[in-house]
Order: sequence, then structure tokens, then C-alpha cells
Amino acid sequence: MNNYLYNISSGNPRSLWPSAWSSLVEGMIRLIPAILIIDVFNTIYVSFADPATPLNITRLWISSLILIIWLLPQFISSVVAYNRSFLAAYQVSADGRIKLAEHIRKLSLGFLGSRDPAELTNMMLSDYALVEQGVSHHVPQMVSSIVFPVLAFAGLLFVNWQMAVAMFLALPLAVLIVWATDRFQEKLSKNHIEAKNVAASRLQEYLRGIREIKAHNMGGERFERLRRSFEELMRHSIRIEGLMGPILMAAIVLIRSGLPIMIFFGTYLVIDGQLTLPVFLMFLLVGVRVFEPMTVLLTSYGELRYGAFSAKRVMAIMKEKPLSGDREVPAHKDIIFDQVTFSYQDDEQVLRNISFTIPANKITALVGPSGSGKSTITKLIARFWDIQSGEIRIGEEVLSKADPEKLLRHISMVFQDVYLFKDTILNNICVGKQNATREEIEEAARKAQCHDFIMSLPQGYDTMVGEGGSTLSGGEKQRISIARALLKDADIILLDEATASLDPENEQAVQAAINALVVNKTVVIIAHRLKTIKEADQIIVLDQGQLVQQGSHDQLVEKDGVYARLWQLQQEAEGWSVQ
Amino acid sequence: MNGKSGIARLFELTHEKKGLLVVAGILSVLATFMMAVPFVSVYFVVREIINHARDISAVDAGWMILWGWIALISLFAGIAMLYVSTMCSHISAFRILYQLRIALAEHLAKLPMGYHTRNTTGAIKKTLEVSVEKIENFVAHQLPDLVSAICMPLIMIAVMFVLDWRMALAALIPVIAGFMIQVVLYSSKTGKDAMVQYQDALENMNAAGVEYIRGMPAVKVFGMTVNTFLQFKKTITDFRDWAVTYTKFCRTPYMIYLVMLSSILTFILPVGIFLISGQPNNQAFALTLLLFLSIAPSLAAPMMRLLYLGGNLRIISEGVSRIDKIFQQKPIEEPKHPKQAHSFDIGFHQVAFAYAKKEDADYKPILNEVTFTAEEGTLTALVGPSGGGKSTIASLIPRFWDVHQGKITIGGTDIRDLGTEALMDLVSFVFQDVHLFFDTIEENIRMGNKTATFDEVVQAAKAACCHEFIMQLPDGYQTKIGEAGVYLSGGEEQRVAIARALLKNAPILVLDEATAYADAENEAHIQKAINALIKNKTVIMIAHRLSTIRLADQILVIKKGSIAERGTHDELLKIGGLYEHMWRAHLSTAQWRLGGSKQSGEVNAQ
Repeated sequence: MNNYLYNISSGNPRSLWPSAWSSLVEGMIRLIPAILIIDVFNTIYVSFADPATPLNITRLWISSLILIIWLLPQFISSVVAYNRSFLAAYQVSADGRIKLAEHIRKLSLGFLGSRDPAELTNMMLSDYALVEQGVSHHVPQMVSSIVFPVLAFAGLLFVNWQMAVAMFLALPLAVLIVWATDRFQEKLSKNHIEAKNVAASRLQEYLRGIREIKAHNMGGERFERLRRSFEELMRHSIRIEGLMGPILMAAIVLIRSGLPIMIFFGTYLVIDGQLTLPVFLMFLLVGVRVFEPMTVLLTSYGELRYGAFSAKRVMAIMKEKPLSGDREVPAHKDIIFDQVTFSYQDDEQVLRNISFTIPANKITALVGPSGSGKSTITKLIARFWDIQSGEIRIGEEVLSKADPEKLLRHISMVFQDVYLFKDTILNNICVGKQNATREEIEEAARKAQCHDFIMSLPQGYDTMVGEGGSTLSGGEKQRISIARALLKDADIILLDEATASLDPENEQAVQAAINALVVNKTVVIIAHRLKTIKEADQIIVLDQGQLVQQGSHDQLVEKDGVYARLWQLQQEAEGWSVQ
Repeated sequence: MNGKSGIARLFELTHEKKGLLVVAGILSVLATFMMAVPFVSVYFVVREIINHARDISAVDAGWMILWGWIALISLFAGIAMLYVSTMCSHISAFRILYQLRIALAEHLAKLPMGYHTRNTTGAIKKTLEVSVEKIENFVAHQLPDLVSAICMPLIMIAVMFVLDWRMALAALIPVIAGFMIQVVLYSSKTGKDAMVQYQDALENMNAAGVEYIRGMPAVKVFGMTVNTFLQFKKTITDFRDWAVTYTKFCRTPYMIYLVMLSSILTFILPVGIFLISGQPNNQAFALTLLLFLSIAPSLAAPMMRLLYLGGNLRIISEGVSRIDKIFQQKPIEEPKHPKQAHSFDIGFHQVAFAYAKKEDADYKPILNEVTFTAEEGTLTALVGPSGGGKSTIASLIPRFWDVHQGKITIGGTDIRDLGTEALMDLVSFVFQDVHLFFDTIEENIRMGNKTATFDEVVQAAKAACCHEFIMQLPDGYQTKIGEAGVYLSGGEEQRVAIARALLKNAPILVLDEATAYADAENEAHIQKAINALIKNKTVIMIAHRLSTIRLADQILVIKKGSIAERGTHDELLKIGGLYEHMWRAHLSTAQWRLGGSKQSGEVNAQ
């Protein structure tokens, strides 16, 4: 339970106190009318019991008056409880969201890359909505539901303990059932959630592959795997209801059976003379009201658990350690890989005991078949991940001790998948240097061959870019990302040369932009087209995570090795034409 | 479209019989009755006690015990019925959802490709996940509840009126008054505005959150924080502030409703006292008053539930209408009497096309008067600047969209008269961005021809230069894509797609930038595979690297939606137009050296 509270309040159970306290007070204030009604019953009962005493109308009027006056404290206490729980809920979730967003920003990019972005977004947005609900609804509801049964039991225990016990005789059994089947329920829910996730990812697959599906006449039910996953989801849904229903129902029956049990006990006790009629009457009146809040408690508990489940996911992310380190990285220094070994998830090693130096202010090209570790090396320089053994240094500074944020200030990345923000083009370039002047921005855009096409857009630099930059062509997006990098003017440039899908004119422009970017920088380029890097100061040839060759183009072509073979292949491919 | 909405439309969409739900509803009402019996028992026991208040020994213990049993048994019976009722409703609900999901998937595959853009994919997924889930919640869990939440108060109020209409009225006052206050305040302008602003704030926060996560690499590299990034922090606090504003707005009506509902007794008691004070010795009336006082409070719970369920009823209507929006999208029209293609040449006859409709604001013609013929067994290459319409031409052939004007023919027959299935059998595609399914490699290749034997699959894989790398995978052809981290590189995926097309062996082939994404080694393999693939076929090929299509039978230069130049490589070079210009650009990019070294400038100026 404590754990639930911890999770539901996203690690700050104290924030639940005001809401819980005020709900408690609210619940207690609501008890007064119930006590008054018992008195009303008693008054009427007395007039029945003794013909000599007429019905005490005055007493009834007084009760009635108190009831009417009591509306006000009830209203006030409810308002207070409402304020405390709802306002607290929104504060808790806003704080939590900001905290989570900041935390995610500090996690390694490698970790973030390994997570489904949709899932992370969900955590920040929907999961906190559940936290909101937990704080605003379920916690206060549980507290106020518990007040009446507990106080009634405690109070009635002094009046007649046998009847008080009878009232809650079956309750322990109900609690036991819920407690004992907790595991079972968890398992069912887990299976159900899994089935749901499978169906969701099948659907995703279906939607993403819709072109192939159309092209191969496999729509709808003929796409067997999707159909099966939907069917499985249906099966699990029915199963979870069919199996969990009886558990919940049994608990409800047990709780509610308190009323008939009271009738049985009461009757015997009355006949036995151990119970007076007015007391019996009082118990029955309490009994009419006491069980409803308990069933509410049961459902609230279920929903709270559900909320706690998502809160738990959030907590798991919050526990993920950000990259440590606070050292400053020197500018314009060599990057040294010293016996570096790295694997992504304890599986196959991507880099094996690899050593080389990337000289400052020179161009180093990485060459090798896909999967050889080229892009991993660029990611390690930017410290997306920390390595398992060995050392990466920039100058004298060890990368694993560097402040990740300060490190990234030294690095610009121009990769294939350019991400543009849903903002103006101006602001998209401006992220490179946030206090840049308009002149600086245009200057960068000119150098990156963007200025002309930007000016031809309807609102020039103030044109909004669609979500993910979808309204611009691939080449244009690449050029904007180069303008960004030019503005940032970092001393290390990580480049992924992938101009394959551009038409010749776009390609030319991108090439010119890149040439403007790399002047006097330490450049690491992942090369696909070997011709591009013929002039590189150093070429590092990788195969299966190991350095197989190193040198300039001319040196490497001379030797009989991987590079010479690739060069040969590409020379042939270059002249290829269909037929 | 007919006017049905909400649940009725749901049944119509899914062809689900109402039988089960009717049973669920009836049982739910019966269960409500049964569950109310214990309260009746209490009343009879109380009456017995009060009637014999003067003489305890005269109390009929047997009678009281009998009522105890009745209470217990009806409780059990009630809960059993409730269980059967919820099971019926659940089974019905999950069947509805299953049918709904299948029907949607089926429908989506029939829609033109134009519908499946990146944005709609996200929206469809959201609709399917969120709306369907809400419908599930409602139909499965809340519908039976709603029936009993409506029946219970109605029955109670009816009983009250039969017993004593004056006190019944008194009990109704708080219920109605509280309800009215709610309605008036919520439908007020301030209320609606607050709601709109609350929703807007929520949307802003969600949008900024999505961008924040998706742009995380850029956020980090450019050293942005929650504060500076698109004011993500501000959208969060804005949302909090609007939520608080709206909450405060709701506070008074909601609180009044809440307090009134929980104080029904406060309203009944004065009326009861007033009535009884005129007849202090009327014991029968005293008992009625007691009955009112003991059952009236139970009116509150179902009324609260009704309020809550009423809100959900709106949500489900919205969910269904969202889903309906997808169903209302018109599928590609199928011919009533499909015709056959007698040869395999492709003809474009004055084809015009735009993605948006003419009356839409973002209307922009993509193709204009495009006319050409690709003879059977020849290769036609499409080249030109990006955005010119090359890919559009290619995707019109499989009818991913339908032309607006003119027609496309295969063997002289309009492709709209062929029927999609027949058309798909005639045409193979290798797209730029290949999509492999999370299935075995064998099945991924077999998509091309479902009746192919394993040997044929292997043959195709060998011809497409896939066999070698497939054999290196942990389970060879049985390796599942996407499982245990098995992903293929872009070049490998492309070769699998070529194997697929080889297996399909359709007479017409559309290749969209098949050599993109390839590194040196892959490129050579893909080239070999393509040469195997295009033998004796009518081929339409989009290419950026001009050298690859030097030998094509026909090159069409597409610019701004029309054919600017056409001819063979040599003919086009002689014209000295756009193609020649592109060819020179191509040569210079091929000469490009990183770092702007000696040659590049000069080559450019050649």
C-alpha cells in the first residue's frame, strides 16, 4: 500500500496529506446527520414503546433544524476537500511532468534511443493524467469511504460488541479473498496488457505496411497476424472479466451479507434479552448505510492500483541514472580511442578493443560494411553511451568524466534523419545559437545554400515548418540542419554522408553546404561513396567492430585489403546502368 | 449517411446482435431489484420491532429470521445475476470491438494511399486505440451499470410516490434542484469557454510534449532545457492553471449537487414532521416516515453514478463519430464488370492529378497532361528534380490514387476497369523505403506469391543476392524480422524486396529509387539483383543517379508535373536542355570531395 501511495504521488506521498486530511474531516462532518436520524428514529420509537409519552414533536423539529443548519458546514468542508484534492492534484502532476521532462533530457541519448518515443511521451502526458486522477479522486474517495465504517464500528463496539462484530463478520474473508487473489489478478492484467500491446504493434505494422499490403492483396482479415492478435485480445479481455468478476463479486457479497447477518444475530440477541430494541434499530439503520462506502472503497482500490501501475513505469524512468561527469572538454584537441570495447545490451560486441586517434582540425573518414561499427563510433564521441572498457579521450580529458552538456557544446551532428521543430525556419536555425542576430542567421543560411529557397517560401524565414519538418524536401531539411551547425560553430563535426536519395541539383547544394561547414574543424565522416573521402586526411576501415586498415586513400588503394576491394566494387558500380 | 449515432451506430457498424445486451440489461435490472431486497427486509424487521415496541416478547422472531434469509438469498441471487449480466455485456462488447477493429482494418486497406500519410497513420492509431478503448469501457463496464443506475432511482421514486406523494416530492426537490444548478452553470458561456480553454491548454501541452520527446537529440545537442524548448514548461504550467480555473468554476455547482444529494433526509424530515404533527397518533404514517428516512439516502449513490455515466455517454458518441469519419472515407471504386488486359504496355493519356481536391485551400496540381507509352518489355526511366512528380506517376499505376483527368491503361484497358486485385497481380513494386513485416524472412519473400514452394523462395533469394546473408542469420530463412534485435540494413531490405518481386514475377515492374541507401558492397549486389529482375518486363524506373539509366529505352524528364523532355540518353544530351544540365550536375557531384579541395570548384564550372 505504502508503495502504491509512493508511486501514485510520483515519489512524494506527503503531497497526498492535505487531500487526505480534508477528506477525513469532510467524512466526519457527514456523520452528524446519520446520528441525528438515529435520534429521530429513537424519538418515534419511544412514542410507540410507551403510550404515556406522546410523540416529542419539538425534539423532531430541533433535529430537523440542526440538519438544515448543518448543510453549511457540509458545504464548506466539501469545498475545502475539493480544493485541497483537485488543486493539489494539478500541482503534483505539473511538478511531476516538469521533473520528468528535465530528467529525460539528462538521460543518455542511447538510452532514449532504445525506448519507444511514443511510450516516453505517454508517460509524461497520459500517465500523469492518471496520477492526477489518483490524487484528485481515488485517494480522497478512499479516505472518506473508510471514515464511516471505521467510526461506526468503533462507536458501536461500545454499545453492543456482539452486534458490531456481526456487522463486519464476513469482512475479513472479503479482504482475504482480495489479498489472496492479488497475484492472480496481476498475472491476468499482465497478460491482458501484453495482448493489448501486441495488438497495438500489429496494427502499427499493418498501417506502416499498408502499401505492401495493398500491393499484395492482403487487406483486412486476410492479414492473418493482425486478425489473430485482435482475436487474442478479445479472448484475453473476456477471460479477465470472466475470472476476475467472481472475485470482486464474492467480495461484494461478503461485505453486504453483513446486513442479513445482523438481522439473524439481532433477532437471537433480542429474544435472549441481551439486546434492546432501540439498539437493534440503531444497528439496522447504520447497517443500511455502512456497506455502500465499502464497496466504493473496493472499486477505488482497484482503480488506484491501475494508476499505481502507470506511476510505477514513471518511477522506473526516474530511477534511471543520468550520465555523470562535470569536467570541461578542451576545444580543438585530438580524439583518442584507447582499446575501446562496446556493446549495446550485453549482447554482441559492436566495437572490439579498438584504438585510433582522430587528429584535431583534420578530416577522418570511417569506412566499412553496414554493421561494422561506423555510426557507433560517432555516437560514442557524442557520449550517447558509455563504453564498457577502454577509454575515449578528447585531449587529456576522459570522456566518461566530462559533463555531457558541456561536451555536446563542442559537437555538431549532421545526420540522415534531420529533425526540424514545429516552429519557424528562423527559430529552427536559431537553435544553433540562441542569441544569434538576424544577420548571423542569414549568413549561416547563405553559406548552407538555404537562403534562396527560404526566401522563395511564402513567409520567408518566418514560414512554419510542419511536424517533423515534413513540408520541406529531404535536401532542404539537410541544408537547414547544416545552417544550424554553422551557427553553432562547434569544433567537432560528426557527419553522415548520405546524399543518395537526392536529385543531382539538391545533392550539389548539400555538398557545397557541407564544404562550408567543415573548414578548420575536427571532422568525423561516415562515408558511403568512397570518392567523397578520397581527400580525407585519414581513412579508418572497419569490419565487424575492428579496425582493419588505416591511412590515406592513396596508401590504402595500394594495399591489397578491404578498402581496395570496396574501391574496386564501387568503381564498377559507378558506371553501371540497367540492361 | 443515416442519422444513427452512438451505440446504435456501433451495432450497425459491427453487425452485432443486440440479444446478449438485452439479456444483460434485463438481468441488470433484476439484479438491482434483488440487491435492494435487503433494504426492504430491514424495513419489515424495523416495522416488526416498532409495532411490538411495548412488548418485546410479542416480537415474531421467526418472521424476522425469515426476512434475514430473504435478504441473504436475494443478495446472492442478485450478485449472480449481476455476474451473468456483466458477462453477457462483456462478451457482446468484446465481440463488437473485435468486429470493429477488423472492419476498420479491412476498410483502411481499401482506401486510396492518399489517405495513409504520416499524419493520418498517427491519427488512425490514436482513433483505434483511444476511441475503441473508450467504447470498450463503456459498452463492457458501464452500459449494464447505466441500466441499473436509471432503473434504481426510478423504482425508488415510484415507490415513494405510492407511499406518500408529499414526502416523495420533498425527496425529489434536492435531486432536481441540484441537477438544474449543474445544467445552468455548465451550459453558461463562462463554463463553455473555460472548457474550451482547458482543452486547448491540454492540446498545447500534448503537442509540445510530443515534439520535446521526438526532438530530444536536437534538444540535447543544442543545449535546450524544458524552459527554453518551445516553452514546454510554460505549456505544462498553463495547463495546470487552466485546469485549476476550470476546477474552480465547477466547484460551486458540483458541491451544491453533492451536498444536496447527500442531504435528501434534510428535505424529507421537515415535511414528515409537519405531516405527523397534525396526527401524532397515526402509527401507520409514522412507519411510512421511518421507511422514507431509511431508504431515501440510497437514492444518492445511483444519482451520482448517473451523472458520471452521462458524461461518458458523450465520450462514446464522440468516439463512434471519430471512427465513423474513417468509415466515411470512400474506398477505391471497383468495376462492376472487370475487364482484362491483353498486353502489358502502359499508357498515360493526358493524365492530370493533384493530392488535394480542387476546392480545397491547399490545392496544387501535381501532374498536368502527362502522356506517354511504355512499350511491353521496355524500360522507361523517370528523372527530374524532386517534387516534380516522378513518384506520383509511379504510384498512380497501382491505383494508390486515382487520376483526376485522363486515364492510365495497361494493354489498352483502363486500369480502373481491371479491378484492384487483378491489377495488383499484373504489377510488382520495389519501393524506396522497403517495409518488412515482423515475420520470418521466408514469409516476407513469399508475400510475392503465396503458393510458392520453399525451393522457389530460395531461388528468388539467390537471384536477388539475398541467399548468402540470409544463411548467416541465426535461423536462416526462419529468422523473424524484428525479433531478438534482428534487423536488416537498408540495402539488405531492398534485396529482400527484390526477391519478393522476383517471386511474384508480374509482367510489369515499378522501381522507385531502388539503389538508394546502399553502401558500396550492397550497391553492387542490388545492381545484379535488379538486372535479374527486369528481364523481359515492362519497367518504370525512377532514378536520381543518372548513370544508372543511361541505357534505358526511353527517358522521361519530369518537371513541375509535366514531361519536359523525352528520348534516349544520347538524344537528350544532344537537345542540350534540362537533362543535359542534370547530367553535368551529376558528373560534378560524382567528383565531389569533402572539404572543398582543389577539383570541385572547377568541375562545377565545366
